Amino acid sequence: MQGVRIQQEMSLFEKLNILSDAAKYDVACTSSGTDRRGDGKGIGNCKAAGICHSFSADGRCISLLKILFTNECIFDCKYCINRASNDVKRASFTPDEVCRLTIEFYRRNYIEGLFLSSGVLKSPDYTMRLIYETLWKLRQEYHFQGYIHVKAIPGASQELIQMTGFLADRMSVNLELPTAESLRKLAPHKSRKNILGPMRLVQNKREENKQEIAVYKHAPRFVPAGQSTQMIIGATPESDYQIIHVAESLYQKFQLKRVFYSAFIHVNEDASLPARTDEGPPLLREHRLYQADWLLRYYHFSASELLSEKQPNFNVLLDPKCDWAIRHLEWFPVEVNRADYQVLLRVPGIGYTSARRIVKARKFGSLDFEDLRKMGVVLKRALYFITCKGRMMYPVKMEQDYILRNILDPREKLPGGLGEMGYRQLSLFDDVNFREVKAE
Amino acid sequence: MLKRRFICTDTTIGILSAIYDAWKMDRTDTEAGIPLWGTVQHEMFCEYYEVEENERKAGAVRKLIRERLGKQAYSDISYAILSKDEDKGTAILQTMVAARELADSHRIMEHLSHPAVRRVFEMSRNVGREAHYWEEFLRFREMKPKILYAEITPQNQVLPAIADHFADRFPLEDFVIYDKNHASYMIHPRQKKWMFMTDHEQKWEAAKELSEEEEAWCTLWKGFRKSISIKDRENKKLQTQNMPLRYRGDMPEYGKS
Repeated sequence: MQGVRIQQEMSLFEKLNILSDAAKYDVACTSSGTDRRGDGKGIGNCKAAGICHSFSADGRCISLLKILFTNECIFDCKYCINRASNDVKRASFTPDEVCRLTIEFYRRNYIEGLFLSSGVLKSPDYTMRLIYETLWKLRQEYHFQGYIHVKAIPGASQELIQMTGFLADRMSVNLELPTAESLRKLAPHKSRKNILGPMRLVQNKREENKQEIAVYKHAPRFVPAGQSTQMIIGATPESDYQIIHVAESLYQKFQLKRVFYSAFIHVNEDASLPARTDEGPPLLREHRLYQADWLLRYYHFSASELLSEKQPNFNVLLDPKCDWAIRHLEWFPVEVNRADYQVLLRVPGIGYTSARRIVKARKFGSLDFEDLRKMGVVLKRALYFITCKGRMMYPVKMEQDYILRNILDPREKLPGGLGEMGYRQLSLFDDVNFREVKAE
Repeated sequence: MLKRRFICTDTTIGILSAIYDAWKMDRTDTEAGIPLWGTVQHEMFCEYYEVEENERKAGAVRKLIRERLGKQAYSDISYAILSKDEDKGTAILQTMVAARELADSHRIMEHLSHPAVRRVFEMSRNVGREAHYWEEFLRFREMKPKILYAEITPQNQVLPAIADHFADRFPLEDFVIYDKNHASYMIHPRQKKWMFMTDHEQKWEAAKELSEEEEAWCTLWKGFRKSISIKDRENKKLQTQNMPLRYRGDMPEYGKS
């Protein structure tokens, strides 16, 4: 029997509220990766570094108008608020509404562009076509030259994805969960094949497009800012080691620009999801994964250096780079005035920008700690691992425990999630549950 | 020998003219300095020169910097000139003096262990950062005859640093950006070259009446900002860290209405 739906006309305000609320669990909101000046005939340009225009109450950046085209969905993914079996208010934009919103927000410098995702309305192809239409309108009729990030709908035809790719700056297909098995369990309508297919397509098309551009300078660009993906962290039992391995192979085999990690947030009750706790989403874990992700992309680390089967999860107390350095003291201390760029990159407290500055500046004369500080090196961390002109900053014992104790500054705020750990007066009558700890 | 001091106004032309005079007198003088009018601290054993400022001198110095020091240094120095710090003239001059000692003067900005170069680098970085913040957090309002109007309150004189960005972004819009702290306007007429104006030259009469639709779009934006936030992850401290309070003054999302 056909369901009967009674729907009232909704105001734009209401629609925007529903469809941005539904899109908020998608974490990617970057506007980076491509530089494009305006051609003087439309509105907008792009900056490679990306621009955040505001920050919401959760501290996340608002760079793009992040909305779903519709939150009606025929899929029933267990973790998703918009799953078919949920009773939530449903709404859909029209292409013109999306265009008007984007342009008017952009003119006021509220946003850097559009992030358009969608629930699956009727069929993947039908939805993808709607998205394509919207982007086409925005680019051709409204002459919008700002940033567009668009989702490829899993299961949509190759042709539609290709056509859309020529209008967007970045495209992403969500991997959703790190392993095929978890995906089968929590997202029964999606399959690994359906997700990796479009990913490979975008990759190949981008390669092809590069050749075209080399020959014809003004050939249309296909997804110039590259593609990204996201995984949900903590909904399924994978270890950090597995996750970071998946990320690494995505970077290597699919040439992704970014992998995003999204701490699992309880929005649905379902037997196959982890039980609800009071701890909130695993934000610290997410944070550590992002730190490690940076090490993979910018610091020439490999996943197997950071973690192993034996040590499958990241240290809660230390960032992965510090953790690695303390476990590899045989590398240190390094002499800043002589060490290779690659070696400098491995020193906690030295980022890739300061490493580059050091390599250039030391050609003009040897550097001292004060010079390093002015260049942006965080000496508080670096001082255990470096020498300048053969001297360390302070006398330091090259011992794991000693460094660990000193580098953990009690005043330093640990990233959220660890907040409950603080100092507490022990009393004789506390039941701290030592037995349980021992049993583990 | 007496130390030379070239006093000039806190403007791009002023500072470049002072550099011109100092350079002409002695380009190896590592003691020469450029104080700004109003902040001059009288020192002993100093000779003071009042700089006659003009566009010809400034142009010559610009050309000199571009040719001798290269693109990177030129862009760093252009930013440093906009800095709020008083020692900017001296730091730039001494950077140029130091560059003469290098075999390849184009690499001067890499010579970060030199104190003057480091100052220029720091000031340029500071101005660049603030300019980027204003590119992010500046907000336009649509006024009655469809003009976009924004006000900013920067510490450095960032207007020249952000002008190109907005002109490139909105070629078909009439818009005005007003720097309240330094009393200067950037005025961009649709499809024309933009220009600067200061309060002294002419009081720009902004149409102070909002357009009819302005309120509605602002409300939509506020609603969006609220609904995009995830309750379980709320973190006001992080928000403030990323979006410092001093930029929020003119944001409609923090406005009263």
